[in-house]
Amino acid sequence: MVEVFRHDVIIVGGGAAGLRAAIAVAEADPSLSCAVVSKVYPMRSHTVSAEGGAAAVARDDDSLEMHGYDTVKGSDFLGDQDVIQYFVEQAPRELSQLERWGCPFSRNEDGTVATRAFGGMTTKRTWYATDKIGFHMLHALFQTSMKFDSIVRYDEHFVSKLVLDGGQVRGVAALDIRTGDVKLILARAVIVTTGGGGKIFPFTTNGMIKTGDGMALAYRSGVALKDMEFVQYHPTGLPGTGILITEATRGEGGHLKNSEDERFLVEYDYGVGAKAELGPRDMISRAIVQEVRAGRGIAGPYGEFVHLDLTHLGKEVIESRLPFVVELSRIYIGVDPVTERIPVRPVVHYMMGGIDTDITAATDLPGLYAAGEVACVSLNGANRLGSNSLTECLVFGARAGEEAAQFVQGTDDGNASATQTQGEEEAARLDALRGRKQGGEKLSQIRRELNKSMEEGCGVYREQASMAATVREVANLRGRVSDLRLEDESRVFNTELIAALELANMVDVAEAVANSALQRKESRGAHTCEDHPTRDDQNYLYHTLCYFDPAGPRIEKKDVTLGIWEPEERKY
Amino acid sequence: MPARKASHPQAMAPSAPGRTRTAPPVQPGSWQTSRRMKQYSRFGMTGWVYLLASISAIEMVYALGSGPEAYERMQGVFGHPLMVLFHAISLFSVGYVVVRFFGLFPKAQPARIGPLKPPPGPVIAATLYGAWIGITLVLSAILAGGIF
Amino acid sequence: MSAKKTFVITRFDPDKDEVPKTQSYEIECQDDWKVLDAINFIKDELDASLSYRWSCRMAVCGSCGMMVDGEPKLTCKTALSDYGDTLEIEPLANFPIVRDLVVELEGFMDKVKRVKPWIVSAKEEAAHRAAATMKEGTYRQSTEELMAFKQFSMCINCLLCYSACPVVANEPDFLGPAAIALGHRYNMDSRDDGQAERNEIFRGEGTVFSCSYANECSEVCPKGVDPAAAVNQAKLNTVIDWAAGFVVSRGGDE
Repeated sequence: MVEVFRHDVIIVGGGAAGLRAAIAVAEADPSLSCAVVSKVYPMRSHTVSAEGGAAAVARDDDSLEMHGYDTVKGSDFLGDQDVIQYFVEQAPRELSQLERWGCPFSRNEDGTVATRAFGGMTTKRTWYATDKIGFHMLHALFQTSMKFDSIVRYDEHFVSKLVLDGGQVRGVAALDIRTGDVKLILARAVIVTTGGGGKIFPFTTNGMIKTGDGMALAYRSGVALKDMEFVQYHPTGLPGTGILITEATRGEGGHLKNSEDERFLVEYDYGVGAKAELGPRDMISRAIVQEVRAGRGIAGPYGEFVHLDLTHLGKEVIESRLPFVVELSRIYIGVDPVTERIPVRPVVHYMMGGIDTDITAATDLPGLYAAGEVACVSLNGANRLGSNSLTECLVFGARAGEEAAQFVQGTDDGNASATQTQGEEEAARLDALRGRKQGGEKLSQIRRELNKSMEEGCGVYREQASMAATVREVANLRGRVSDLRLEDESRVFNTELIAALELANMVDVAEAVANSALQRKESRGAHTCEDHPTRDDQNYLYHTLCYFDPAGPRIEKKDVTLGIWEPEERKY
Repeated sequence: MPARKASHPQAMAPSAPGRTRTAPPVQPGSWQTSRRMKQYSRFGMTGWVYLLASISAIEMVYALGSGPEAYERMQGVFGHPLMVLFHAISLFSVGYVVVRFFGLFPKAQPARIGPLKPPPGPVIAATLYGAWIGITLVLSAILAGGIF
Repeated sequence: MSAKKTFVITRFDPDKDEVPKTQSYEIECQDDWKVLDAINFIKDELDASLSYRWSCRMAVCGSCGMMVDGEPKLTCKTALSDYGDTLEIEPLANFPIVRDLVVELEGFMDKVKRVKPWIVSAKEEAAHRAAATMKEGTYRQSTEELMAFKQFSMCINCLLCYSACPVVANEPDFLGPAAIALGHRYNMDSRDDGQAERNEIFRGEGTVFSCSYANECSEVCPKGVDPAAAVNQAKLNTVIDWAAGFVVSRGGDE
């Protein structure tokens, strides 16, 4: 018998968006019981690794209109403009709230929060905490959330299924990683805040846990994944490990140089104009790939790279504003940024695409909300500007929490035996999967093949032929992943079982990415198709919707909300 | 693997019992051989010295209150070579603890109290050692009958 | 470049094993691997049943703490080249063991919640809440005020300090280095008003005064938080606070 737990709102995922949503629910109505269900303890969420800063209008030389324009232009005009307007309005309020909750922002002389320059932003609006904003934001939110008795946590519980009844979400089935038992956690609203799925690629800034679980949950329940083809390659990751070297290094004045010691972004025309190293991420990643193709990359044991030169900034600036970068460079690549150049190359970092939501963070499945990287509102369109996503987690995490708190007042619990049956079936499915010795496929092997296929088909530069090959390979892997051979039969803390569930989720996400990429026959933002190198607003100014179908994913189109800024050529 | 020494059976135990059976907590394997932990053990062992010193101080006070013969006998006991050795050990142990404590003292200073900041390390060290040695000299003079 | 190394790893399945045992794995290791890379290789290729926690692999999430040759280490940050041909990998000391290299963290979560690790503030909250801009909605804080607590806010909750602390090993009630450092971080934050409440907790059950100056916590901290400084500063602060309580009324006095 599967044990049943009842709450009013469930939040899946305990990172910045999830914790902000939980606090929003608790503040909106302290009588609502809010469950935060996360497969890791919240302080391990991948928010923790974000480095550069979070954007919001702060200075007198800035305006909401400017922040909005930078964002819509950065998105290559695929961002929904009503969403962008709402976002820039809420951003200063949310970051100010975060400051009052204790986030230790770096300060100006007058005691106000300090801001730095960032890619694609016309002025300094990135609030920063040396270079560990994600860490400080996550801990401030997590510690603040402990204040509220109405927030109940299910730590190390893996949500493997959304429970539906009567066309509405009624809760989740979650595996208690500690005991191996499945719990049926019921609520009238579920907010998914599980982050992105960078681990479908072999080379990523993302941690082990970024396997797209929430995206897969929604996908398999009939909700569309939107704009999945847009995968952001961060220009400066360490070769080998893929560890993130923040854009703030360029915000503080760092230069990118090729093997001939040229600042290639200045020397050649890569579309970034005078912004040079502070251009948008998609353009800079393409520039680095072009430099390597032109033979001006530097060879190393983990492939070719370019140099990030901070040496001219001076020891004081580097050690006071970029101390984490110093630590990472020394430990993981053996380089001291004060005196040497850091080897860097583009690395998968963020997914602009995700669960299709509207401006209220609601999906078209009643009771289901999504916020943060897992969602596609769409704020970021075809390319995200750095430092917008942490603010996005706060703005839409809060919105999702407020909306869910209201939604649960006006709805009911659904049919108890229908939900119970789903819980029992899920428990049986997982029991059968655990330690499944009759399979023929090895988990790490499938993961490697998936990674390889995604890198080949969905890299910085894409071709129709290789995208099509990836679509076929992923479809093939979908069949193979259902025949895994698993060794670990234990019930207690079985991480192999979790890895198997994550791998299935990764295949779902990869399918959506590859199929969405194949049908977009233009180049826009982070999606660069060599067969169609220009942007085509005539035919492709729409959001891609990818729906799950056993016969193969179904693609539909959704209009982009325009009205404030006219789409124009994206030149910097 | 050599069996690790057990920690307290309730070390880091949760307030509600864990949902599955756990193996009891053990101490780090390096504690037996680590130089720092040996120093820490010696530091802790000085507690025995204080215990014995306290007992002999109490004995002496009792003897003081029991008349001049008892007091003379007590002085004789203190003159015994073993007692002199104990006093030497006590002196060493007090010195060891004080030096260690003085070494950790700067770290225990708050960054600021209102507008005041702690003085630099050498100043703190000089003040502490100065006060310690000064008070020791004054007390020794008193006990030796030099003053009062 | 690579070399063969042997890993002797603690295994424990509460459903099968009475007590923890060890298992040895010999693998070819790349020279630039961290300890975690080797453990991941063992799990991926040799023994999928080996259970442990990890995530970011860049020393910021705090998941991958383990004992390596008897000392608590963050395995994603610890170079294999610092060790010889054989390494002993055990779960973090002083914690109950759940499975293999996974330890019970609920004890720590209980302790950390007790120190009220959030901004307690009576200052102008209503006016701040209504504000929509940075100038109106944030506290002013000088860099100097920030530096008073910044170091103690760097804790990633990796819990190596709990494994290193002899008081944690022997006194179950002791709040412990990370929890005290976190409480102290809030006490020292100029935006916070909760010193009185926290100092009372620091004097109560699990008191900061249990700390006996081993300084091991600071020796093993991978983030330079120096929890020993926090605990010992907290001792001084709680005494001053206690004494001041007789002289002035609480609140609004600095």
